[in-house]
Amino acid sequence: MAVQTYRDALRDAMYEEMERDERVFLMGEEVGHYQGAYKVSQGLLERFGERRVVDAPIAEGGFAGVGIGAAMVGLKPIIEFMTWNFSFVAFDQIVSNASKIFQMSGGAIPVPVVFRGPNGAARQVAAQHSHSVDGLYAHFPGLQVVIPSTPADAKGLLKTAIRDEPNPVIFLEGETLYGLKGEVGGADDLIPFGKARIGREGSDVTVIAWGRCYYEALSAAEAVAERGIECEVIDPRTLRPLDIDALVTSVEKTHRCVIVHEHLPYGGVGAEIVDQIQRFAFDALDAPIIRVGSRDLPMPYASNLESLVLPTVERVVEAIEAVTYAES
Amino acid sequence: MAKLIGLPKLSPTMDEGTLVRWTKAEGDAVDIDDLLAEVETDKATMEFRSFDKGTLLKILADEGATLAPDAPVAIIGAKGDDIDALVAKAKGGSAPAPDSEKGTEKSNGASEGKAKSEPAAAKGGGEPAKDKQEATSDEDDSAEDSRVLASPLVRKLARERGLDLRSVDGSGPGGRVIKRDLDGQAEGASDGAAKQGESSSSSAGKASTSQGASATSSAGVDASGLALPRVEKASQMRKVIARRLTESKQQVPHFYLSVDIDAEPLVRFREQLNAEASKAGGKVSFNDLVVKAAAIALRRMPKVNASFAGDELHFHQRIDISVAVAVPDGLVTPVVRDADRLGTLDISKKIKELAEKARDKKLKPEEMQNGTFSVSNLGMYGIQNFQAVINPPEGGILAVGALRDEAVIKDGRVVPGKRMGLTLSCDHRIVDGALAAEWLSVLRGLLEAPLTMLL
Amino acid sequence: MVERAQTNAAKRAPARKTSGGSKAAGSARVLGASAGKKSTKGKGDKAQAKAPDAASAKPSDAQRKPKEAAEAKATKRSKGAGEPSAAKRKKATGSRGKLAGRRDELLGYFRKMYEIRRFEEESARGYAQGKIGGFLHLYIGQEAVGVGISAALEQEDYLFQSYRDHGVALARGMSANAAMAELYGKDTGCSRGLGGSMHFFDVANNFLGGYGIVGGQIPLAAGTAFKSKYTQDGRVTVCLFGDGATNIAGFHEALSLAGLWKLPVIFVCENNEYSMGTPMHRTSPVKDIADKGPGYGMEGVICEGHDVLQVKACMAEVVERARTGGGPTLVEMKTYRFRGHSISDPAKYRTDEEVKTRKAQDPLVVCRKHLAAAGVSDEELAAIEEEIEAVVQAAVAFAEDSEPAKVEVMENAVYAPLEA
Repeated sequence: MAVQTYRDALRDAMYEEMERDERVFLMGEEVGHYQGAYKVSQGLLERFGERRVVDAPIAEGGFAGVGIGAAMVGLKPIIEFMTWNFSFVAFDQIVSNASKIFQMSGGAIPVPVVFRGPNGAARQVAAQHSHSVDGLYAHFPGLQVVIPSTPADAKGLLKTAIRDEPNPVIFLEGETLYGLKGEVGGADDLIPFGKARIGREGSDVTVIAWGRCYYEALSAAEAVAERGIECEVIDPRTLRPLDIDALVTSVEKTHRCVIVHEHLPYGGVGAEIVDQIQRFAFDALDAPIIRVGSRDLPMPYASNLESLVLPTVERVVEAIEAVTYAES
Repeated sequence: MAKLIGLPKLSPTMDEGTLVRWTKAEGDAVDIDDLLAEVETDKATMEFRSFDKGTLLKILADEGATLAPDAPVAIIGAKGDDIDALVAKAKGGSAPAPDSEKGTEKSNGASEGKAKSEPAAAKGGGEPAKDKQEATSDEDDSAEDSRVLASPLVRKLARERGLDLRSVDGSGPGGRVIKRDLDGQAEGASDGAAKQGESSSSSAGKASTSQGASATSSAGVDASGLALPRVEKASQMRKVIARRLTESKQQVPHFYLSVDIDAEPLVRFREQLNAEASKAGGKVSFNDLVVKAAAIALRRMPKVNASFAGDELHFHQRIDISVAVAVPDGLVTPVVRDADRLGTLDISKKIKELAEKARDKKLKPEEMQNGTFSVSNLGMYGIQNFQAVINPPEGGILAVGALRDEAVIKDGRVVPGKRMGLTLSCDHRIVDGALAAEWLSVLRGLLEAPLTMLL
Repeated sequence: MVERAQTNAAKRAPARKTSGGSKAAGSARVLGASAGKKSTKGKGDKAQAKAPDAASAKPSDAQRKPKEAAEAKATKRSKGAGEPSAAKRKKATGSRGKLAGRRDELLGYFRKMYEIRRFEEESARGYAQGKIGGFLHLYIGQEAVGVGISAALEQEDYLFQSYRDHGVALARGMSANAAMAELYGKDTGCSRGLGGSMHFFDVANNFLGGYGIVGGQIPLAAGTAFKSKYTQDGRVTVCLFGDGATNIAGFHEALSLAGLWKLPVIFVCENNEYSMGTPMHRTSPVKDIADKGPGYGMEGVICEGHDVLQVKACMAEVVERARTGGGPTLVEMKTYRFRGHSISDPAKYRTDEEVKTRKAQDPLVVCRKHLAAAGVSDEELAAIEEEIEAVVQAAVAFAEDSEPAKVEVMENAVYAPLEA
């Protein structure tokens, strides 16, 4: 297997799928001549030309709608948001149109569009640029929400999103993960949606985490392992569809569960998972499930404050201690 | 007034149930929601909890019997109630239960106070079958005031293993029984020895893992400018101490007996002993001698070397003396095993070794588990007398005061003397006053005539 | 062909290309024909349509090739830098003689417009009976727009509409049965009972939906046009929306993108003068919506929306331009709704007098005049009306008798299956 950065894995996924299928095109701000604001689309313009690598003006609502419309009539658009923070001006297109046209048309018009871009807080970009939107978009039936944590998942899941998925896909890349290196699959290694990945096996606590937080979870698992607490770290990889079976199976083994996510806690995906686990595995629980998310605040600018708001390894460790009734 | 207790319908589709096990014996006090028995239904093994308060006067169905719902299985009433008529009625077998009985059963579902104060009103009847079903169908939330805090997993395991969670120490927040508290717990609540051993071992194990506790603290003032207390997170050890001692004082009926012994012979004995011991590089303390004497006294009076365990009394074969050792963030009680068989020098060495380990946080869980009696000494601080809290499930603890010089009257004359105060705390559930007094006098005899320890 | 001011993306060029001597610069604005009497005819409308080519058209109202030359008095707007606005109106030059050759075509338009009228009236009844729920926005008064547009399109062209979508869907070829059943929430409805009044869909006729969020469909239309340009499939997209929608971001972004990329799309504003209850002069900084086109590199055209012939002619021209790579156009259809914004709107914000005056321009009345000019008798029309009545009553009966919407359809219509 080749070793690539997360960024290059995404680029190759698009490159390979655009080679494979003429209907696939990439549209977004700075995706072409600028080579991508985060350089994810580097080289695509040179290979595929302006027809298929389309620089859009700053009009997210407009070009998100263009993507949806094009998907309605047979193209396979990849719409890049420079960051997901800017998707809010396209929210109506994504929510009122993309997620609903298949249903409103009585099942007649699928919308195979992929919206992708970096998600979550970077460093000190403050309130308006630090959103983690996974909880928000996972709210809506009709959308598929994908949030890969590794280069392999990034590539395999993006290829599935582009190639197989007839529904709108919200593809959330980790803004701080682009430089991460790892082994990636080949041109036809697709990763299906709705299949969680166990990143570390363990018997004492199930730690469910995705995106950037997957790494906080792994670090916390390392830390508590020194004290004999073995965590099973699971990355669901797609939040819609959610592999609840895998999560429940793990909790039935460990009897304890911690959920780590970057998005805001109020009504988030963590809360949804808590609900499902307590319904499906009530008798397996030896402790209340604990969520570790961003604190329920708009993101502050100051570095010291920002690190208090984001989920950290320390907070994950504390949660693991709490559910295992252990002490630090 | 005694009443027949019928087998409850424990699942909506239960046509018959097998009485797997009684968890109460005839003569036992029964409270509302106490587990009476386990019944295997078509669905699962279910808990059969009492709707009545009183005494289990008679068990009418043997373990293993398979019965229809409502079949009489027991009689609950007040001690001394005449139950012959009820027994005869139950033995009547096929005869349908009279309305009055059903009416009485109906009252089972009523509140405790009502059932007690208005027995007649309960006879009014109604729809007993329906009421009974309702009353039994909500086993999970029927506990009310005596609700046991337990995790869902623990409740499931307890159902599967037939454990009575009320007798399990919960080590979770607020005393929640968590899975760890059941680890190693034997099947069935009757195996009290195993249960108690395990529950204390788990607590001790926890205390040992907590020795690396790190306190977080913050200083500051509140909005009104008043100084806030410095807040430290309670260490696991502190939590265990708090919980166990609270439980001890709340659940164990303590009583205290004090004696003041003439320690003059002990002082002389020790001098002689140490003259020899020093040749072996050792030194025996007064406390070592007290431990040894207590162990011998326990050997001579094994009824004091005992634990109260619900339905059972446990008289320990070994004499393992827990010795309270202060450590920087609390208190641990390492155990001197077979103290009655050890020489005083060995006891001395063992206590030194354990104390050192305790301060270095290197005690292993098994070195703190399963003591049968405790000795606590605050004499080095000049304390004359104090009353120690029992370390459950042990039946007693001896509090040792300072050796002190005192004017004593001997042969009608005031002379300089040596005295030492001893206070015994006992669990009255297993050690009564006279027994305790007798044991204390045996101990006193041993300490005032140390050579008799060799007998 | 009519002359018009050309605009393109290079708006910085002050010069406006004109042909045919029409000098729009500085010309007075032309108000819509909404006030009953025209306040003015465009001063710049020297550019009269030349002779429209005669009735070589097929009678079908929906299958017509957009080849007829315009005879419409469409008014063109284009705005270059330094040019506040320019409007041109082309006068209809229809005469009896000329219309005689378009008899069948006109009958087709009448048939469809009358069907829409009666369909909407029956919808209102169904609503009053509690058989139709939710929102219900009627197309009564605007029929000529939908029918005229459809007449100018090919079958494979794409069409989007706002929530006032029944009429356009019917004009595009949807059966009255499927439309009424949808309003009744039945499985036989055009969206299987999942869409309702505001969300008609008819893929077979490339009617790509009615949309409930104001302006939400406009970027989608740019998207289907993007696809047509991408695949060179020769199709054109028409997107309808109301005057209120031209204030929302989606309108501006979609026009901006379409102008930038020269997409084959016609943005048609059905200006019925009210965005819900607010008259346009209180919602729009410009008097004519068409004026908003040049800012996005496309021509703005005003068309009298009460006359199906003018609508058809105007659309035929701009559709042809889009189809041949000439880029998008913003068309403003001056129209009027005779009912409230929705069924629950008593429309107290306008006078009875105003409505009465506008009804003189009822598209059906105007069409009847054309038909008379073409030599169609009242008896012939009565026979058609009877036919249509049967169609609409059958649609109601069909809707009544149809199976209710199905749970399994609802559950299976959230995500398209993988093998889609």
